[in-house]
Amino acid sequence: MNDGSETVISVKDLTKVYPAARRLLGDGGREKLAVDRVDFEVRRGEIFGLLGPNGAGKTTTIKMLSTLLIPTSGKATVLGLDVVKDAVKLRPRINLVSGGERGLYFRLTGRQNLDFFSDMYRVPRERKKTKVQELLDQVGLSDAADIRVENYSRGMKQRLHLARGLVNDPEMLFLDEPTLGLDPEIARETRALIRELSRKGMTIMLTTHYMFEADELCDRLAIISDGQIKALGSPFSMKESVRNDTVIEVEARDIGEGQRQGLAGLPGVSAVSMEFLEGRQLARMVVEEAGSLIPKVAALLEGRKVISIRVDQPTLEDAYIKMVNGK
Amino acid sequence: MISLRAMKAALKQQSIHFFVDPQWIIPSIIAPFIFTTVTLFLFRHAGGDLLLYAVLGGGVLGMWGNTIHSSSWSIGYDRMNGTLESIMVTPAPLSSVVFGRCLWNAFLGLLNALAVFIVAHFAFGIDVSVRDPLGFVTALFLTLLSLAVLGMIFGAFYVVTRASSAFFQMLEFPIYVLSGAVFPLVILPEWTRPFSYAIPATWGAEALKISAFTGYDSLSIGLPGALGLTALTTIVYLLISFQLFTYLEKRAKINGTLVRY
Repeated sequence: MNDGSETVISVKDLTKVYPAARRLLGDGGREKLAVDRVDFEVRRGEIFGLLGPNGAGKTTTIKMLSTLLIPTSGKATVLGLDVVKDAVKLRPRINLVSGGERGLYFRLTGRQNLDFFSDMYRVPRERKKTKVQELLDQVGLSDAADIRVENYSRGMKQRLHLARGLVNDPEMLFLDEPTLGLDPEIARETRALIRELSRKGMTIMLTTHYMFEADELCDRLAIISDGQIKALGSPFSMKESVRNDTVIEVEARDIGEGQRQGLAGLPGVSAVSMEFLEGRQLARMVVEEAGSLIPKVAALLEGRKVISIRVDQPTLEDAYIKMVNGK
Repeated sequence: MISLRAMKAALKQQSIHFFVDPQWIIPSIIAPFIFTTVTLFLFRHAGGDLLLYAVLGGGVLGMWGNTIHSSSWSIGYDRMNGTLESIMVTPAPLSSVVFGRCLWNAFLGLLNALAVFIVAHFAFGIDVSVRDPLGFVTALFLTLLSLAVLGMIFGAFYVVTRASSAFFQMLEFPIYVLSGAVFPLVILPEWTRPFSYAIPATWGAEALKISAFTGYDSLSIGLPGALGLTALTTIVYLLISFQLFTYLEKRAKINGTLVRY
């Protein structure tokens, strides 16, 4: 939902360099540029996605905006507050949910976890008990509320993470890979919950690896790679950017990085992605015109076991690959 | 900035962890019990004040052992659970959370101290009556608080690095000695005195001994002086620890080290 009226997040030239670690013995490594002069804005009520490969700078960006990291340079405001200078004022109005197994007290029950974090957010005492129960109901954990988190399944932990992220009714919710490692059914339920929160007016910024998730959930996306924003717009506009392209999909055995580079080097190929399946590989090439390229592709793969070559329409994932890996 | 609500919630959380996680029984109950028993065995042929000195020494050892393990591990536990960021994204000051946990640990230390007296009296037949019971209880509370604050300072370093553990474990034994809990300060070299005087537990231990023994006042400061210096150094250390948390949290946010375990 996007009313297009108010800017909730404003990011200008945001940069984060992780300094080299100082060690008494051994090499502390080199400093690392994680986010490189990033600019974007998020409007009230939007679901805004940060999409990118591992190490692209997604999590670093979201952590700077949620006051967990101090930017090296540049400026970021959330809800009109500077993420460094006004961090204390900002924290009660935002929350962050990270994906993965960790981030909860495993020896405590789900209810005790929410109880603790409600106190951290100073949820009014008279409201706390009801609020915790409402959240448990909302994420479907009422029956498991008094079971220790160490006995929860992966999906239950993720639902508890989400409930924790809602204890303070945040105006702005940051979700760092919220469906990471979840089975398809739980991931679908999680996406439904995110949509529901958005419908209620919450502004949400999420990071994800999954294109279909970004496509399904996000009003707008930023594709980030090597710390820089490569593209910014709606999923529709991103798909439109490859509308005049075509995809050649090759399924074969015994093709690897050498062949991928060979395919990427063919004239008219703008990007190649490779998926390694059980006993076979799937290469998708974003090309300008498929007809003339197919014989060249077949020639390049001569001697390999080619199972199929077919022509397809580009998806958001192809747009993403083109923007991240394209020539 | 201090949040009483965060302190209370952290104290409650720590108490739940204590009861549901058997590992805490080792540093909090078993280790102090062993310390005390060994000390009492060593001094079992001594009599009068010297034996009570050993009981007090064992008590302070128990309290300190408990504090250094539990309080300094407070942040380490969050690193292990991956909850350090979950706390730091909330409005609650991390120092208040850690202080709340330290207060629970101090309360456990009090139970330890009581256990030491019970063991000394019933298992070793030691007369544990003290000269000034009110002064003694006041000194005991202040000493516990001072140890908790010292544990908090140690805990702060876990915010920036997981490597704090080894360094602070190393400090456990020097503080036993420097605080004068086990050996009288007068038998230590002159150059160690400034270090001893800088530790709140030194004044706490002194107050405990002054209130326990007739005629004891090795530093000529009297019970009010010893209690006052314990309180003063504890407040100073508390203020230092809050500043330290602010500084070290900033460092961790610059270096991006909050999630490492």
